[in-house]
Amino acid sequence: MTTTEEAVERVAQEPARRSRVRYRPGKGVLVLPPLLLVLALLIGPLALIWLYSVGLRSNIPGTVTSFTTANWKDFLTGPGNPFRGLFIHSMLITLTVSVLATVAAYPLAYFLSFTARKHRYTLLLLLLAPFFTSYLLRVIAWQIILNDQGVANWAIQELGLQPKGHAISWLIYSNFSVSLVLFYSWIPFVALPIFAVLENMDRRLLEAAEDLGASRFTTFLRVTLPLSLPGVIAGFVFVLIPTTGEFITPLLVGGPDSQLFGNQIQAFFTNSPDWGYGSVLALSLVVVVIALMLVFGRFLSTDLRQTSGGGSR
Amino acid sequence: MSPSQTPFNLNRRSFLTGSLGAAAGAGLLAACGSPSAPSAGASVSRPPISKEPGNLSMLEWGGYEAAGTKAQTAGMTVAGKSYIDRYGANSVTYSYITDDDQALQKATLDRRFDLMHPCHENIPDYVDRGLVQEWDTSLLPSFGDLNPFLMEAGQYKGKQYMIPWDWGYGSLTYRTDHVDPADATGWELAWNPKYSGKIALWSGASTNFEIAALKLGIDPSKMDNLSDSELEQAKQVLIQQKPLNKFYWESEYNQMQPGIKSGTIWIAYSWQDTLVSMKSAKVPVAFMQPSQGRLSWFCGFMLGATTSNYYHAHEYVESFINKAACAQMTNAFAYGTSNTKVTPADITDKALAESLHLGDPHAIATTAHLQSWAPNRPKLLLAWQEIKAS
Amino acid sequence: MNPDAGRLGRVLLRVYFIAFIVFLFSPLVVLLVFSVNSSPIATLPINGLTTKWFHQAFSNGELTSALVRSAVIGAVAAVVATALGIMASIGLSAGRMRLRTLAVSVLMLPLVVPYISLAVGLLILMQAIGVGTSLTAVVMGHAVIALPFAILVILPRLRSLDPSLGEAARDLGASEFGAFRLVTLPLLTPSLVSSFLICFTTSFDEFAIASFLAPAGSPTYPVFLYGSSRTPALLPEVIAVGTLVIALSLLIVVLAEGGRRWGERRLEGRSSAEPVVASPLVATAAAAETS
Repeated sequence: MTTTEEAVERVAQEPARRSRVRYRPGKGVLVLPPLLLVLALLIGPLALIWLYSVGLRSNIPGTVTSFTTANWKDFLTGPGNPFRGLFIHSMLITLTVSVLATVAAYPLAYFLSFTARKHRYTLLLLLLAPFFTSYLLRVIAWQIILNDQGVANWAIQELGLQPKGHAISWLIYSNFSVSLVLFYSWIPFVALPIFAVLENMDRRLLEAAEDLGASRFTTFLRVTLPLSLPGVIAGFVFVLIPTTGEFITPLLVGGPDSQLFGNQIQAFFTNSPDWGYGSVLALSLVVVVIALMLVFGRFLSTDLRQTSGGGSR
Repeated sequence: MSPSQTPFNLNRRSFLTGSLGAAAGAGLLAACGSPSAPSAGASVSRPPISKEPGNLSMLEWGGYEAAGTKAQTAGMTVAGKSYIDRYGANSVTYSYITDDDQALQKATLDRRFDLMHPCHENIPDYVDRGLVQEWDTSLLPSFGDLNPFLMEAGQYKGKQYMIPWDWGYGSLTYRTDHVDPADATGWELAWNPKYSGKIALWSGASTNFEIAALKLGIDPSKMDNLSDSELEQAKQVLIQQKPLNKFYWESEYNQMQPGIKSGTIWIAYSWQDTLVSMKSAKVPVAFMQPSQGRLSWFCGFMLGATTSNYYHAHEYVESFINKAACAQMTNAFAYGTSNTKVTPADITDKALAESLHLGDPHAIATTAHLQSWAPNRPKLLLAWQEIKAS
Repeated sequence: MNPDAGRLGRVLLRVYFIAFIVFLFSPLVVLLVFSVNSSPIATLPINGLTTKWFHQAFSNGELTSALVRSAVIGAVAAVVATALGIMASIGLSAGRMRLRTLAVSVLMLPLVVPYISLAVGLLILMQAIGVGTSLTAVVMGHAVIALPFAILVILPRLRSLDPSLGEAARDLGASEFGAFRLVTLPLLTPSLVSSFLICFTTSFDEFAIASFLAPAGSPTYPVFLYGSSRTPALLPEVIAVGTLVIALSLLIVVLAEGGRRWGERRLEGRSSAEPVVASPLVATAAAAETS
């Protein structure tokens, strides 16, 4: 207890005082309603998904329900299982996009923190602003840009890079379009933790390196970059985790061959009565994401501690 | 196809094939149908129509929205108009069917639809899941004009669960200015690598398996009852076909037809209404007559089991099944109708109607392969998911 | 002293940044341009300008009711999430160490669970309890996913408050709840507004849960958007309304930041330069995106 609290304690024990002890453990009970909400509407659904995946519940009327790991076995170990293949394809796209986004975002964060000193926060806001607008609308906008009659093809044909009337068809409904839109969507949020870490970096270290004779580039390579690594990893995680479960972008700009794992889950629950198999996929996705969080989570908490310690500078 | 060789024991199918043999030749002026079997009296007490909430929620195909609603942009000008004139353009809300499997799923999840318009092979599933109730045909003045062969086929377990309304064919529509006619002789056109990226099959799983079965040369009468090994074969060829698609279309009017018009795709699975749309848009297309035969279907109206708009629903359907509505529908889409009072005099494009045998509903069974209920539907759907994931 | 890249480096970085800003805003500009395009097809070149799509959009009953529906759902979900967020923040500040870590982990779970998996789980849950699709389920689903953001915004602010202010209120005779209501709550106001805005945005833009749980005839705005993005006839209206929604969102961001700075200056005599968006890093990152 802090000294303040001790003082209060003493005061509170005096008779004929209306006020009671502050910071009673009783206040902790306020955390229960939110906890119950999460338990009911998050843990509960996950548990139900589990039950469906092992056959203990079914939505096909008249099915005998009994515990079975058949669907799980098939997904995890079945030879040539297409859903597993889709998962791997999905993860490859996710990783590619995440790496590219992180690499592309670093110079942005660097620019903000080092070059654009005075207006860095305003510029940061400028960078982040599009992301408070509707995600679906932005993907629809990309659909307009990339499709056969769209802005991109028009520009390419106007510039003479393609004969008129011959659109580049792989611009839309392809792995390219999906990857591009995902890359586009996440860059600013990758830049954010890198920026935060760069901001918190003790500039004197950089001064010291330069005083010791290092060139600017060497300073960057051997001091700035390594010190900013936690932020880089945090940024990588910021894009990796959500993109693993992404399905909206492929719905709008993806083709039959560029669907992601999340789309398959959605397809199972919209078109197929076999929710058991779909549940296996849905739960696998959760497990993978949680695993990724556990592996990378350390870097996130370090970052948060560094930056959320307070408001003003 | 020899109908008598079908292995099915389904009552509906055997009646269809039986009535085939008995049916007279074509002629738009079919004999007046006799009234159907008396519908089960409504022993449930229902509030009168004035007490019903009145806002119909309907699961419907794009293009079949009632005339007079904002959503109806496909050229249907009569069907539903009398209902909309009476109750207002906002009295019906439509949720769209992209394919029968998705529709069944949607209806199962959202059991509040007053009306649904699935195709007949789904009738057993809708009934067995308790999604629908039988119609009171005495409330439908035009019911007596409807073709008895189709009406019988809309019955299940002796009750009139579906009012069949529209029927037709499914095949590949292709741009004659881009596709070599020598290539367009059979379903294998969809597998032709020459047209890679210019093909669009439908998202309907059951239909695609039927197409694969026909392409593989499997006995068409078994196309809805594939053995496990046949299913596996069909799955493999569909996986091979997948990369040739630009997309699997889900909406006829928003994806498939605009795609053909703009030349984004040259070959698409479609129904014969595309012929009419493309003709008016002056786009040269043909509706293929594959060597293996076309697919055929008939669909109709089903009544929600828990609807609180019982009488409104009946009125709505009546506004669709009357003669004027059916005639205009046939002119708009070149689909067959179940109303026997529609005569050649009512049809504008007589040549097209003749070539499609629109005068004789039996044509769906005699000149094409009627899509029917698949006993192994869950397996089909799982296999379809695997194809999509491959 | 601010070590920086060399002259050339600075120029390159600046160009890179500007190029990226152009890249980021170009889809928004595209929408703006086509919202006034007289042709119903979104292709270049533009042959004429018109405002008719805006008129048409607002007379499109389905579109406007989807907008209103989403706004109401967003507001309710934001209120619920913020209220629960306050409770959770107070509880977490007061609880014991071990339980607090566990509670935090559970409360932060919605940030991690992919929305598609949660959506299908909620669908199964709603089926199991016999509810099926319902807008209330959508609201509650949105409240759950917004809750962590509310906590991430409110908790640090609560912790940073000077406890002696509350003490003073107690000394002057206020009850516990009174001290909270009269002293703590007003001091929390900037973060409450932040929380409301972030939760509202999360809910308004959320697609996965809404697509599964919203009843067929009552789509939320994102669900409606998705449905009509496949309809060429509706596209100009969608673009027109979309442009307005985007403009509104940007305005809210600017106002929120301005308001926060103003509020903090008034309450504390100084305002932090960090934009409201930067302090709850994870909050803003996931809020606008993972829907």
